[in-house]
Amino acid sequence: MGRFASLCLVVLVTMAMDARIEAGAQQPAPTRNPSAAKARIYFIDLKDGATVPSKVKIRFGIENMEIAPAGVVRPNTGHHHLLIDTPLPPLDQPIPSDFNHIHFGAGQTEAEITLPAGEHTLQLLLGDHAHIPHNPPVVSDVIRIRVDAATVEKTRTPAPAGASVSLIEPADGATVGRNVKVKFGISGMDLAPAGTSKPNSGHHHLLIDTPLPALDREIPSDLNHLHFGRAQTETEITLAPGEHTLQLLLGDHEHLPHDPPVYSKVIRIRVANAAPEKAAQAAPKEGRQPSPPDAAVYFVYPTKGESIYPNSTIRFGLRNMGVAPAGIAKPNTGHHHLFIDVDTPPLDQPLPSDLNHIHFGNGQTEKKITLSPGKHTLQLVLADERHIPHDPPVISERIEVFVKNVRKRSRRR
Amino acid sequence: MRHGRFATGLLIFSMIALVPASTPLQIAAAQAAERTASAPSALVYFHYPVDGMRVPERFTVKIGLKEMGVAPAGVVKPFTGHHHLLIDTDMVPLDQPIPSDYNHIHLGGGQTEVVLTLPQGTHTLQLLLGDHEHVAHQPPVMSKKITIYVR
Repeated sequence: MGRFASLCLVVLVTMAMDARIEAGAQQPAPTRNPSAAKARIYFIDLKDGATVPSKVKIRFGIENMEIAPAGVVRPNTGHHHLLIDTPLPPLDQPIPSDFNHIHFGAGQTEAEITLPAGEHTLQLLLGDHAHIPHNPPVVSDVIRIRVDAATVEKTRTPAPAGASVSLIEPADGATVGRNVKVKFGISGMDLAPAGTSKPNSGHHHLLIDTPLPALDREIPSDLNHLHFGRAQTETEITLAPGEHTLQLLLGDHEHLPHDPPVYSKVIRIRVANAAPEKAAQAAPKEGRQPSPPDAAVYFVYPTKGESIYPNSTIRFGLRNMGVAPAGIAKPNTGHHHLFIDVDTPPLDQPLPSDLNHIHFGNGQTEKKITLSPGKHTLQLVLADERHIPHDPPVISERIEVFVKNVRKRSRRR
Repeated sequence: MRHGRFATGLLIFSMIALVPASTPLQIAAAQAAERTASAPSALVYFHYPVDGMRVPERFTVKIGLKEMGVAPAGVVKPFTGHHHLLIDTDMVPLDQPIPSDYNHIHLGGGQTEVVLTLPQGTHTLQLLLGDHEHVAHQPPVMSKKITIYVR
């Protein structure tokens, strides 16, 4: 039985629809057609254990027999059936036709299927003109595949007609200094922080020197795709001298472009070679160290809302800056501080150092900690050689994690 | 030493532009330097990507380090080092400074992630921690060599 019949399996049969004939007069135990000696069917380029994207093209191979569409009665022919997440059906009856048993009755030898994330099994079974397996059956090995969760398409949020985003500043074709102030405009929709699901809203993503990403999945987050998840409407970026392109793309609460996507036209700017940068460098030693724009500190593990074990290694990520141990004065570096179950302390003075405010003065980027079962909060802040946060502070979201009670570990799948 | 299998021109490497470039290597003075001790059970590894993964042409390599700390190049502090990312190349001689070229990316600013742009196809990545003078520790702290597929 199809255990996973409820899975949202979309089958895009690449050719005509299954021209299944009305084999209404099927007998309870119909006669099975003989298969050819040494007949074999197999997956051509899919190996057992492979990791595949969610939408995958599967090619079927056949040896010593031939493909004929369903309904065509000819010796030593048959058509493919793809069994997904299901054992072999009874071999003396027509192969069922459902989400777990896909018929290729037009004689197709390939298909594009979309599978949800996780492990799946695939198997091929040849059926004759009446969809009944041959005798002996011509069946492939069962292969196990894993669908990469990152490739699963999510449902896109609709955007209202006429919604648009635009770059207010700089102007297209402008020549600017290395520190560029960028202002975003939006009309026909509202801004909402990432994670806030509200109709007709989104947050800006600034694409620098890169074409539009795939619009059916999360916008990447890197130096070329800056997220403004707090619904900011402006930013300052630092660009190398030369030509650059900028474009805005609105993303929904899950950083997924809307449907239809809302993006601005690409503007081209030129960054002049002048380097009036010394001002920032010569900042007074007494004050807070400047942080570069778009610097960010974040949790690699765990992530927001994650359930973790009492003994867990907390792993830190840092974007756009470097790590340096405490006591090392170097621009654009700092060391991590982890706050556990406390509110954010004042950011204009040295950070406290105690059991709830852990310093990583040796430049560590991960730490194994022990937490009691229950709810805890974690937050990361980068600070300079004197443990003073930068200006603006490089601080992560304060995330909540749930520490499991190890004794009653449930084995849910 | 082997040349990188890919034309270096194809490989556009965008490093975190804001961190000043690491001190230039004194290749000429590359005698067998005395190597800095690593911490026992130190481990450098990839948070992203992992072995066998398919990645887009431009992606961010995220680096994890266990039992040691990160320090920018030039900083002398026990049990610290800075990351080097080896692309499409075999392990370098460990008693000399790690070369600095398109196949050997130095993260001398103490970075723990780096954006790479690689041509489509199969590539290998490997991490190697270097000390203040870009020399591998003793014993070396290096990751497994992973294979990724750029599509």
